[in-house]
Amino acid sequence: MSATDDTTAETPPIEDRLYTVKYSDSGDSHLGVTIPGICAERCVTQDCESVCPADVWQVEDDGVPTIAYENCLECGSCRWACPHGNVEWEYPETGNGVSYKFG
Amino acid sequence: MTDQPNYDGEFDAIVVGAGLAGSAAALTMARRDLDVLMIERGAAPGTKNVFGGVMYTPTIRELADIEDAPTERYIAEKRYSVLSREGDETAVTMRPEAWNEEPHNDSFTVLRRNFDEWFADQSVEAGATLITETTVTDLLRDGSQIVGVETDRPDGAIEAPIVVLAEGANSLVSEGADLKSKADREDVAVAVKEVRKFDRETIEERFRLDGDAGAAYHYFGDGAVPDVVGGGYIYPNKRTISIGVAYRIEDAATRDRSPEDVLDEFKSHPAVAPLVRGGRMVEYSAHAIPEGGADAVPDLVHDGAVIVGDAAGMVLNNGVHLEGTNMAVESGYQAGEAVADALETGRTSASALSQYRQNMEESFVIQNLEHYDFFHELIAEDREFLFDRLPRALAEAQQEYFRMDKTPKAEHASRAKSRVLDAAGGWVGAAKRAWKYRRMLS
Repeated sequence: MSATDDTTAETPPIEDRLYTVKYSDSGDSHLGVTIPGICAERCVTQDCESVCPADVWQVEDDGVPTIAYENCLECGSCRWACPHGNVEWEYPETGNGVSYKFG
Repeated sequence: MTDQPNYDGEFDAIVVGAGLAGSAAALTMARRDLDVLMIERGAAPGTKNVFGGVMYTPTIRELADIEDAPTERYIAEKRYSVLSREGDETAVTMRPEAWNEEPHNDSFTVLRRNFDEWFADQSVEAGATLITETTVTDLLRDGSQIVGVETDRPDGAIEAPIVVLAEGANSLVSEGADLKSKADREDVAVAVKEVRKFDRETIEERFRLDGDAGAAYHYFGDGAVPDVVGGGYIYPNKRTISIGVAYRIEDAATRDRSPEDVLDEFKSHPAVAPLVRGGRMVEYSAHAIPEGGADAVPDLVHDGAVIVGDAAGMVLNNGVHLEGTNMAVESGYQAGEAVADALETGRTSASALSQYRQNMEESFVIQNLEHYDFFHELIAEDREFLFDRLPRALAEAQQEYFRMDKTPKAEHASRAKSRVLDAAGGWVGAAKRAWKYRRMLS
């Protein structure tokens, strides 16, 4: 069980939302940034962070995001959102990643 | 699965993805006595798949025994509702008695984990081979001809004369192989959804349902999804309720609310909250929806490959009709037939497969996409009127029209009319809008 288990709440925190999803970790991130310098120097909108429904992307002080890939729901929104085409996106390998029970 | 058998030359066709389009193609080809390999990246078909909630079954019915399918409820009611940010609701509800009778207008709520596995099983029973937990990473080529797939398994290249790309909205293989370009973010929606568990009685009381009857509730306006182009929905299943929102990635990128916050706001609207309150969230999910319309449909046939379903952009959203499952299955079926016909003549070139493209162009799938192609641009242009002014004007008009006081009703009606007319920009604005939206009714 998660620390709070707020799945009965109307507005659960994102951790409790993600807790409902089965995730198998390959140990390697299937997400990345192609050129960190673009995030640091050219990006002012942080669209990866804005569109992500799973709090995967967290832009740090230097402008480069950290990536909590194990939160990823594999929707791909960040891939389309980044106006610099700077999101590296692959499917998690050999069946890893999210596994929906309902869908 | 570490020892990959050598599959080269074993199969006539490889299907990338065991979702609706992939399974429809595999089933069709297997029935035509082709040796088919389906490659699914999830642990089982359906584990990677998410949709809003309604499976439209006219083509599936022709391919498999739908009585046997794990459906949740048939759609006995459709409800369209506009919500204002101020808390108003204006709704239309339809319950034709005929929808209670077989074949229930071929519309059922389902949960994809069960449904997609059942549908893939039909292909396996027809002779197709399914391998799971294997991701196709690239296509094999011999010159311009596609001759198989590369996978993430050791020695994972598999050759076959035809590849059916049914990889879904996030079509990395087709894009990587330059068979289609990446869509603009204006043309793709982000969708987030909750499945909440309730007891059956609660669901049936809340939504006024008997037996296996179900409902599709669709919501628009700034009270459903604020400041964006999109909408919300509620679909009661047997013992769960699916609640979700979907809107353009362009809007998600430029607004300060995250998708899960938009979902929470939708759930807290006073017209929505009593329907979804309580229960227990058993799943949170997210997915992308290709909504680029006819213009965004890529070349469907290539030398040695065809593209089907979401990967081919086959989703219709004109505000009233929200379809994709029927289009995916139809495209898989048409592709499967075209592949079987081409292989009978021993040919695998794009021109040999062009029957698939022709049949799709003549089908409801492409015809509907073309007919409603104007819609997305129009609602994006007219967003403020449709999502903000109109929902409020309708609520104000209702208050005026039904106002209980000592003023004669003619005066109430006149005030109600002017509320709507003001919002629409007077008679001229209303006439212009009527003209712009005329194709919704034709």
